Amino acid sequence: MGQLNLNKVQKFYGTFEVLKGIELEVRNGEFVVFVGPSGCGKSTLLRMIAGLDETSTGDIMIDGKRVNDLPPVKRGIAMVFQSYALYPHMTVFENIAFPLRVEKMPEEKLKAKVENAARILHLEQRLQQKPGLLSGGQRQRVAIGRAIVREPKIFLFDEPLSNLDAALRADMRIELAKLHKQLKATMIYVTHDQVEAMTMADRIVVLNAGEISQTGAPLELYHKPANMFVAGFIGNPRMNMLPVVCKAAGDGGVEVEYKGQSVTIPVGGRPGLVGQPLTLGVRPEHIHIGKSDLSMTVVPSVIERLGAHTVAYASLDGESENFCAMLPGSAAIRADEVVPIGIAATDCHLFDASGVALERRVELTDIDMGLLKIGGG
Amino acid sequence: MSTQPAMINRYRWYELLGIYAGIFAFLTFILAPFVEGFLVSLKPLSQLFSSPYRFIPQNGSFEAYRTMWVSVPGFARYIFNSFFISTIVTAVVLMLVVPAAYAFARFKFKGSGQLLGAFLAVNMFSGAVLLIPLFRLMRTFGVLNTYFAIIVPGVAFLIPSAIWLLRTYMMRIPRELDEAAFVDGASHFYTLRRVILPIAMPGITVVAITTFIGSYAQQFIYALTFNSKTEYAPLPVGLFAYFGRQEVIWNELMAASFVGIAPAMIVIFFLQRYLVSGLTAGAVKQ
Repeated sequence: MGQLNLNKVQKFYGTFEVLKGIELEVRNGEFVVFVGPSGCGKSTLLRMIAGLDETSTGDIMIDGKRVNDLPPVKRGIAMVFQSYALYPHMTVFENIAFPLRVEKMPEEKLKAKVENAARILHLEQRLQQKPGLLSGGQRQRVAIGRAIVREPKIFLFDEPLSNLDAALRADMRIELAKLHKQLKATMIYVTHDQVEAMTMADRIVVLNAGEISQTGAPLELYHKPANMFVAGFIGNPRMNMLPVVCKAAGDGGVEVEYKGQSVTIPVGGRPGLVGQPLTLGVRPEHIHIGKSDLSMTVVPSVIERLGAHTVAYASLDGESENFCAMLPGSAAIRADEVVPIGIAATDCHLFDASGVALERRVELTDIDMGLLKIGGG
Repeated sequence: MSTQPAMINRYRWYELLGIYAGIFAFLTFILAPFVEGFLVSLKPLSQLFSSPYRFIPQNGSFEAYRTMWVSVPGFARYIFNSFFISTIVTAVVLMLVVPAAYAFARFKFKGSGQLLGAFLAVNMFSGAVLLIPLFRLMRTFGVLNTYFAIIVPGVAFLIPSAIWLLRTYMMRIPRELDEAAFVDGASHFYTLRRVILPIAMPGITVVAITTFIGSYAQQFIYALTFNSKTEYAPLPVGLFAYFGRQEVIWNELMAASFVGIAPAMIVIFFLQRYLVSGLTAGAVKQ
């Protein structure tokens, strides 16, 4: 088993509240990713679950047992650090065997366990080498091996891939996903890289300024962000935000006006919206050349040709933020020349004045899965 | 097209000449007394006061290295004492300083900063200032004229700088290594022994060498103050035996000096192989 419950978990550094009453349930065997910008408290939360940082108030429960006061080893967790934290004077074998040596496991059993971990991680040929001779990816695999041999209830990963180059990161993402399938263990993974979060997680927890902004499956966060923060954080390039005014709200959706054009967005309305300023969100990959429910012209100042896609940046009148469109790789556009663009009402998101989303009327099953391949890094 | 590598020929010839001239002058200043001392040890006594003075010995020989043992029959004992005292002082200092430095490097506890400051303050005292109180202490405990009387003050005076040195070294060892060991169930002592100690070996070696040399050098003052027996006297006291009433046997004194420091040189020679850098390579991504 490996069920984790966080009940009103708070963390203070002096009077500064780093984590503001986190409530979360991580089910057995789930791969949960904590994601958020730097300083949002995601690593602190992971370290508190590990037992490396004290919890100020609230309960950390593992399999129904309160573990706040237990040392890491008694919590049934294993942790993989961002910086690998390998022991440089020990061989790969001894590094992986370290936790087993601590618990004084008989040599024969220890050897079998280390060799099994090495087989899973393709490190059999490296067992007698020291970490200094290994590549970044191999070092991180050794660190994962050290976690595997303990057969923990919960694996904790603290940005384990952020020190690797892009190609290796992609490989390791696949390996970690395979490992999760193979071990069927609960894994909690901290990252600031949304691609890692989107590709590996069963469920993503988006943290912002010490609070959970939204919890959900990757597609859910992408298509139904609960607020402007999540909408902006998930998706690359960021979602475009346009100021609009609510004209009407009915069964068909919410009608808004943007620079003289009216468009009805299929979202759930709420009383008192009419006349209020709202924010319309549209992802760059949902902008097309030509006319649509909402049409306008832009003059791109910068165009990035990425092969598969073309990313165009333009400034809209009256808005300081760059407006970004992700178009097909062969899009016939040029910098400083007028381009007509259109946005379909069904692709739009709508947020109220406090940044909370009006619920989109889209079924996740209807959504083109191919869209998720867009972005990436 | 220029293919000149960036890092080669950083200096012009006259700059290099200046650098080497500076190094030569510095080395001459440092080594000249040793060279002169060695040349004196090769000269017969009669040549030492010849006029004009000759630096290079005529008919030089190693005769003084033989006769020094005859002139001062107990000289081997002095060497043993120095070596023994320094070894014990070094061992005790390391035993106390390694866990202390680890604690100062890793744990936050009340008064740690003040304590470190106090250590530094103790080092600012001249040893001579404390000789009389120490003498009274030793007499009260009845340990005058024992090895104990020379070892204990040596340890006490060498610990502060050793703690500072090793603490600084240990602070450079990534904290994640301790945390990884802690998560894996290792106690602080186990982590220190199996993880930190091997990585800190170069730092510990530096502390061992400086403590050994420090002890070798400072025994003199304690030995003269707290000890009057030949059997516990270290090398610097022994060297005084070559100062006769009528004359100083300079060539034997110099020979004895070189023989006396030989054990320390051998120890340092063997210890320096632990001074390899880069031991933490591959520990964490820098």
